[in-house]
Amino acid sequence: MPIVKASENRVKTGVHFMLGNYALVEGAISAGCNFFGGYPITPANEISERMSQRLPEVGGKFVQGEDELFSIFACTGASLAGGKVMTATASAGFNYMQEGLGYAYTIEAPLVIADVQRCRGENYASQADVYQMRYGASGDYEAIVVCPSSVQELYDYTIWAFNLAEEYRNPVIVMSETTIALMRERLDIPEASKIDLYNRNYTTLSPEEYMPFAAPEFGCPDAAPLGEGYKTIYSLNPHDEKGSIDWDPVVFDKLYKRVCGKVRENADKICRTERIMMDDAEYALIAYGSEVRPAVEAAELARECGIKAGVLKLCNVWPVPEKAIAEVAKEVKGIFAVEMNMGKYVNEIVRVAAGRCPVIPVTKNLGLVHTGYEILEEIKKGVK
Amino acid sequence: MITYPQRVTLCGFGGQGIILSAVILGTTAVTKGNLYAVQTQSYGSEARGGQCQAELIIDKKAINSPVAEKKNLLVAMFQTAYEKYIPTLEEEGVLVIDPGLVTNITRPIKNTFEVPATQIAVDLGNRMAANMVMLGFLSEALGIIGHQDLLDVVKDNVNPRFVELNFKAVEAGVAYAKEHNLYYK
Repeated sequence: MPIVKASENRVKTGVHFMLGNYALVEGAISAGCNFFGGYPITPANEISERMSQRLPEVGGKFVQGEDELFSIFACTGASLAGGKVMTATASAGFNYMQEGLGYAYTIEAPLVIADVQRCRGENYASQADVYQMRYGASGDYEAIVVCPSSVQELYDYTIWAFNLAEEYRNPVIVMSETTIALMRERLDIPEASKIDLYNRNYTTLSPEEYMPFAAPEFGCPDAAPLGEGYKTIYSLNPHDEKGSIDWDPVVFDKLYKRVCGKVRENADKICRTERIMMDDAEYALIAYGSEVRPAVEAAELARECGIKAGVLKLCNVWPVPEKAIAEVAKEVKGIFAVEMNMGKYVNEIVRVAAGRCPVIPVTKNLGLVHTGYEILEEIKKGVK
Repeated sequence: MITYPQRVTLCGFGGQGIILSAVILGTTAVTKGNLYAVQTQSYGSEARGGQCQAELIIDKKAINSPVAEKKNLLVAMFQTAYEKYIPTLEEEGVLVIDPGLVTNITRPIKNTFEVPATQIAVDLGNRMAANMVMLGFLSEALGIIGHQDLLDVVKDNVNPRFVELNFKAVEAGVAYAKEHNLYYK
């Protein structure tokens, strides 16, 4: 797969004090995004707003659709045409995108979707859609979901999301939420020469030889430039290597084993975690997204109270970073699963911990990120 | 003397430029002072007139929790906003009020500064510049950001048509601190 450096004219190198939604856009622009289709929704609007300014500056196209379905299908089309594409929405709008998302998984269109989760109407934070990002669309597929916890990571992880989308020819979701989306924070944008970008493989075969869905057992197919004779049917229906619709169970089985397998079999390559104060930790907090921040604070506070706590930060939630979670479960006396919902991802942690240690949910669904002290109280209760 | 982390709330009503002043303060700290800063906000659904507050944390290292329960600086530019946020100020914290709009002090704070920012702005010809008067005062009296750094960032963040007015307002805030010898030590 070709790896290139980011273009200098797209990268605003330097120190900024930037809004989270804007940082996500700058990440996308640095990653080479050249098409954005979106429909307005709070608290994702600043993404569309800035995209509409930035894309024309770099020769890209911005389209405001009539709804979310338009947005995701327009992005899918633009992706097949060779674009690096993105759409952005928020919880309620993400509901509407599921049909298009399911299609994009099956035809293996690289695209990036920012879901800025919200609750209590509009401007309140939530992580309640963590399972929707995995299981929202019908059918068999594997989701890749990255979870930035800061304005800096909204920039960095959006580039990562574009790279994953190109590498695996899969939709990739950037999980955001109100806290970080509408927060301003320090953002250090590196020089373009420090940013690696992955580009999907293009076929070297002639249109006659080319098979649009031929791929290694757990790999993804080479793309073909649109409009140059590589006629392809991109169908949601089961299709063979030529792209012909085929209901044969053997074709069906092979297609879905590969579409899921390309992510499952590469999960260790895809997953990223960070261990914070974990070396001597007796208790671990596992958190993702903005909840990582109060979790780190709580671990520091717990240590002041004599409880050796550490944090496993999940940089992505799907595929589940099973290795890292299992390792932590082996090391500690207990895990606290911190999230901003009524308790969802805790189920994955319980599954992976597999009884090695107790897993205690630390939940909050008030539209606000936990404070360090709130988590500390839960730690104290759990340790007793 | 300013210590870190600085946990700041700026509050008032919508239309006073509360959020812009927090953005300018944060931008100056980050881009000129090479510090870390996190800014969050909340405001009523009305574009103007509703209560409005911006929170800012400034530190020498990366900041974990984006919200702080206790503040060491509260800048209040309206009575109801003052009443809502004064309980969050530490006993040893600094309170800065516009005495024209915060008229009833319910909790005396030792380090209180009264800055008639709105009246000063009105005298300069535009009450909208009260936020810049306040920033000028904070720069001079508290040393929270550098004077020239502030002017540079104001220039980059306000409509070019209003740069001159905003510069005058910043200078008026600085002058007010100097004339009345209002310095936080």
